[in-house]
Amino acid sequence: MPSRRDSHSPAGKSLLERGLLLLIVLVLLQGSVLPLGAASSPDTSHNDNLDNHQVTDERNNYTKKPFPVLALDYHHIQTPFEIALWVLLASLMKLGFHLIPRLSGIVPESCLLITVGLLVGGLIKLAGEDVPPVLDSRLFFLCLLPPIILDAGYFLPIRPFMENLGTILMFAVVGTLWNAFFIGGLLYAVCQIQPANPSILHNIELLPCLLFGSIISAVDPVAVLAVFEEIHINELLHILVFGESLLNDAVTVVLYHLFEEYSGAGKVTVMDGFLGIISFLVVALGGILVGAIYGILAAFTSRFTSHVRVIEPLFVFVYSYMAYLSAEMFHLSGIMALIACGATMRPYVEANISHKSHTTIKYFLKMWSSVSETLIFIFLGVATVDGPHSWNWTFVTVTVILCLVSRVIGVVGLTYVINKFRIVKLTTKDQFIIAYGGLRGAIAFSLGFLLDKNLFPMREMFLTAIITVVFFTVFVQGMTIKPLVELLAVKKKQEAKRTINEEIHTQFLDHLLTGIEDICGHYGHHHWKDKLNRFNKKYVKKCLIAGERSKEPQLIAFYHKMEFKQAIEQVESGGGVKMPSAVPSTVSMQNIQPKKAPAPAKPAEKAPSQLPKGREEEIRKILRSNLQRTRMRLRSYNRHTLVADPFEDGFGDLLIKKQKMIELEKKIKDMNNYLTVPAAPPDSPTMCRARLASDPQAFRTKPESDSVPTIQVDLASPQSPDSVNVMDEFRRAGQEQRGEEREDEQGLMMRPPSRPHRSGEAADGKDPQKLTRCLSDPGPSADEEEDEPFLP
Amino acid sequence: MGSSSSRMDHIPNAEQLMQETGFSAAHILRLYARFEFLDKDERGELRPEDFGALRGLAMNPIGDRIIGAFFSRGKETVDFPSFVRVLANFRPTETNTIRDGGQSFSRTRKLKFAFKLYDQDRDGKISREELLQVLRSMLEQQVTEEQLQSIAERAIQEADLDQDDAISFEEFKKSLERVNIDEKMSSHFLR
Repeated sequence: MPSRRDSHSPAGKSLLERGLLLLIVLVLLQGSVLPLGAASSPDTSHNDNLDNHQVTDERNNYTKKPFPVLALDYHHIQTPFEIALWVLLASLMKLGFHLIPRLSGIVPESCLLITVGLLVGGLIKLAGEDVPPVLDSRLFFLCLLPPIILDAGYFLPIRPFMENLGTILMFAVVGTLWNAFFIGGLLYAVCQIQPANPSILHNIELLPCLLFGSIISAVDPVAVLAVFEEIHINELLHILVFGESLLNDAVTVVLYHLFEEYSGAGKVTVMDGFLGIISFLVVALGGILVGAIYGILAAFTSRFTSHVRVIEPLFVFVYSYMAYLSAEMFHLSGIMALIACGATMRPYVEANISHKSHTTIKYFLKMWSSVSETLIFIFLGVATVDGPHSWNWTFVTVTVILCLVSRVIGVVGLTYVINKFRIVKLTTKDQFIIAYGGLRGAIAFSLGFLLDKNLFPMREMFLTAIITVVFFTVFVQGMTIKPLVELLAVKKKQEAKRTINEEIHTQFLDHLLTGIEDICGHYGHHHWKDKLNRFNKKYVKKCLIAGERSKEPQLIAFYHKMEFKQAIEQVESGGGVKMPSAVPSTVSMQNIQPKKAPAPAKPAEKAPSQLPKGREEEIRKILRSNLQRTRMRLRSYNRHTLVADPFEDGFGDLLIKKQKMIELEKKIKDMNNYLTVPAAPPDSPTMCRARLASDPQAFRTKPESDSVPTIQVDLASPQSPDSVNVMDEFRRAGQEQRGEEREDEQGLMMRPPSRPHRSGEAADGKDPQKLTRCLSDPGPSADEEEDEPFLP
Repeated sequence: MGSSSSRMDHIPNAEQLMQETGFSAAHILRLYARFEFLDKDERGELRPEDFGALRGLAMNPIGDRIIGAFFSRGKETVDFPSFVRVLANFRPTETNTIRDGGQSFSRTRKLKFAFKLYDQDRDGKISREELLQVLRSMLEQQVTEEQLQSIAERAIQEADLDQDDAISFEEFKKSLERVNIDEKMSSHFLR
């Protein structure tokens, strides 16, 4: 999972800032808490006044009050205000932690947040107010959990997930069942011991114990995400634990409802067990089906959004949320629905939407899930302070020990079985990490909270035990997992990106293995993957992806993206060409800069600094064509007062200047025969012209000096495609076929009207979306997800 | 396994094959059954047409290369031992440590096999033309010639360390050092 954090700021005046922050927060809290109590009085007095008015009105005998110039009416805005306050608190806390880099290095954020929650809860209690029931189950399941799961599902790395699906399912289903029954059963047994001194434990029957076991046994995706994100473990382990935490939701839902239903009755028959199994299949598959349906709908909708780009992200979010709610409506697994929805729609939506929408979706998801996660942990702390507790030493300690023991036994046992079927076996180190990474979290707590006090008199004891386990796993396991990972030298995540060689060869090997499987007559993994890919290419992509993108093979898409990224890096680092000093070398592309600090070293490594001339030419063409596309995209922003990114424009200008200079140099030397990737069929010329005409912010190029050929585009009459002159140099270079393409490419060519010939022409547009994507992609190092093709 | 041993007698050099490739007796039998299935004319050896009869292989973009890999240079038919030897390349490896991408005999062997598929003229290097051919067959008709040229150019540039405009086996191996070859080039069926 990509990190949601920025780099740490220096710890210079951190303590002071931290203290200040805390102070502000406390003041805000006190300010909100006090009126809570006082809220009722102004309200009633207000009502009384109203009544008085009405009554006295009737009597036509009212006393006129002075007109209230300034009034305080807290009650009016109470709920939204409190919500906003909590969110603000959560965000400030998050900021605060990063002002103290040492602390966040040692202690995972989740721990810090829970501590803050405890503090806040304590403060509220001290102030004498009632702690608001923040971890209300409805709030949790309907508002706090979906963003996190959607974020996880949308950016789920499909390939490792599918490759390890069998293992993940084994852990999720069998592992959780084992945990639930083991813990529940043994707890019951333990509760029955000590006949000498009867304690309240004796009253607990088997079914509530099993219910408790099922609540506590599920690995929690929120906690796993929070902790694993910081340790950057290798992809395999990450996907195993994370996938397990997501998929065990179905099991938990079924077990929970099953035991809850029958706790009242007191016994479960074999029939019920059988129904439970069927119910599990329904819950799981139904959830996935609901999610997939909504995902397809979203993909289909995104096909038509080319005219209203601004609301594209909205479709993604709303469809996903509706998938979740629909699944919850039928008591299906909402989490699986959400995952299925996100994973299904992603390849198609990404092919359809504009680059900015893509960025928006990414950022919104990250933002919401980050805030949600923060809030959840804080609320956990608050609820701990608040919740009615009933501490029972035996119960709690036995629970904690049993959780650990059952997890270890479960993982070891399952791995033994799974390794028989895996090509890449799981080593002991892996098993340890998987077992240790089985963190419990807020879901368990919320489920416990949902229990009905009447049916479960020992609810408080359960809650206490759950909270203890959660605290234990988050604090102890969360804090120690990082040093342990270092100690055991577990393989870390590979940060480097895929090269085109890897991409080509991987595809080649896929085909090879499919062929071999055909020869052996064995319908294995590759065979089905190949079939699915073919089906996808033939039917599905045509329906769900708009325009020409549907035919684009994934290798080409990958190649485009790579090329462009490298082009950007080249430009950033000044390239291999000696630039006149007019162009500042510190092109601060804020968008890309923060994560690309090592990048300037990379181009030197990836492509030798002595680039062949052809390469530069290619890069220039890519850059130029991208500029055109960027310009065209600006239209949608103007309409809704989203100001076009000034840096993009500035960068564009810079690029143009750079290109002019490169051209000048090139003109002097001979041009090599170069190779570029020609355009995909573009938008119609009329549309391009229309866009440009309406876009006042487009072309702001200014001539730098007389020697630099300038681009002057008269907005009123943008150049028509017919006025394109193909370069003589082109003909010289023997690229006749390209000549025809020039004509119907890009509706608008940026040509200086004065110069009859220029090199490196026009819109050698590449695929617009991939290009623009790379240009203004400010993403945190989340590019790994983008590199994942559909079922690669 | 009494009856199987009598069946094994049909298979020439079964013991030797098992030794060489590491397949178990059950595997050899299975492969022999498959061999016989493919060998429609019951000749005792396979010809390219027999492979071509497989629909999946016909649709495979590099199907003809795969078929070609079974036939050693100059020979027109494949007998059972050669068949098994080629398939032995795709056995999953036994040890766990390979996952780290460490150099092992079997990994190199698999890579060599893949390399041979690229390098049709067996000169020990993947030339630009050979790479173009592979790309052409993989991407079918969906791309233009210039796009292919660009990709090939880029790929060679990335991998070619000694600047000879072709990819040698060492360079090939290096460019794939991050990929888990054992996982990508193993089939369960041949365990």
